[in-house]
Amino acid sequence: MGVSKGDEMFVKEIKAGNAMAFEAMVLKYQPKLMSSLIGYTKSRDQAEELCQKTFIRVWQKIDSFRGDSALFTWIYRIGINLAKNDFASSYTKSSKVTDSLDQAEHDVPQHLSPETELIESESEKKIIDFIQTLDTDTKTTFILREVEGRTYDEIAEILNCPIGTVRSRIFRARQLILEFIDQENILNE
Amino acid sequence: MNKELEKLSALYDGELTHEEMQENLKKLNLDEDLKKTFHRFGIISELVQRNSEQNTSKVIFLRDYFKNLNPVMSNLVTAAATVMITLIVLYQFDDDRFQVDRDSSLQLSSAISSDLAKSQLLNADQNIMEHMIHIMQSNQSHNSQVVSKNWIPVGFSVNPNNPNQYSNGRNNLFFHFENKHLGIKKVKYFKANNNWIYLIPLNDGRLLTAYGDVPPSVANPMIQAIYKRK
Repeated sequence: MGVSKGDEMFVKEIKAGNAMAFEAMVLKYQPKLMSSLIGYTKSRDQAEELCQKTFIRVWQKIDSFRGDSALFTWIYRIGINLAKNDFASSYTKSSKVTDSLDQAEHDVPQHLSPETELIESESEKKIIDFIQTLDTDTKTTFILREVEGRTYDEIAEILNCPIGTVRSRIFRARQLILEFIDQENILNE
Repeated sequence: MNKELEKLSALYDGELTHEEMQENLKKLNLDEDLKKTFHRFGIISELVQRNSEQNTSKVIFLRDYFKNLNPVMSNLVTAAATVMITLIVLYQFDDDRFQVDRDSSLQLSSAISSDLAKSQLLNADQNIMEHMIHIMQSNQSHNSQVVSKNWIPVGFSVNPNNPNQYSNGRNNLFFHFENKHLGIKKVKYFKANNNWIYLIPLNDGRLLTAYGDVPPSVANPMIQAIYKRK
């Protein structure tokens, strides 16, 4: 799967040196990358550091992105490679100052408690349950976009409705979900 | 304000024109609240996509959707002999010979006679969809003689009352042959409700479709036997 239509514009702009497009891309993919890196490193601090490094690398290397894969897949690969390098490097350092393997292994990140996830699992369930309560048209449109990755054109064709309706339904779903999140005080940023 | 946020949502999806994109990127750049909202869109995406991978919740959503369009269709979802509302590709064959196409997902509609359902399909592979609909619509029974006894899973025998059906008393398996491969080069299999559909390209150029409530653990030896056939 190549780069999606949605990301194509961002990539083009970033390649042209548009820092605003880059910032938007960071805002868009940071949650997903953080989630992946927390899953990999089991450390939120480490994940945050790696996340920053990853996006710096993305900015530096964007010209080498050919669009053969989805943009996030490419970002993810960079992030995981940096995490691997980081891990190897910290392991080497710790091996130099310790004589026993047991001691070196203390540097391996430990499992985190669920509270360190982006959204606690209990709250996550609440949000998913809330999405289920959205009216069918809004929910279907939103899911086609977020889960199936369909473009607005494709969704309009599938659901046989104007593209403007697709756009407003997707926004409506996001707006309702955000209102629910605020109401439930789920995200304390 | 809502119109502005709607544009932000469309920007997030990369669905603005070049000019609109530039305009809204500038706005985003200058407004911390917009940045926060944009970032929250990302959090929602991450959460929904992760849960979708875990729960394949789209099946439920689509079922709800079709129920509103056609209640009869919804009832048919549970019927074993209908094409299923949504098929999710599963990846359990470890044998290299039976690699499953991990990138594709296929969705089929129930209510085979419904043009409406067909027009609403969200399918990734038109050929396979047509093939499945064709099988389910077909009244023509397969010729049981062409099914080698070696292919039939252990414990299964032909149902004396229905030559199309093989059963072990608990599970049922049906076969269908097609004189074309539909571009399928590897074994693909799908799960729909409690049923499984196996698309098995044969060496002689035909496509064998086996379907029923037979899980891969039972079907795997059958597929291996088919490929071992000289």
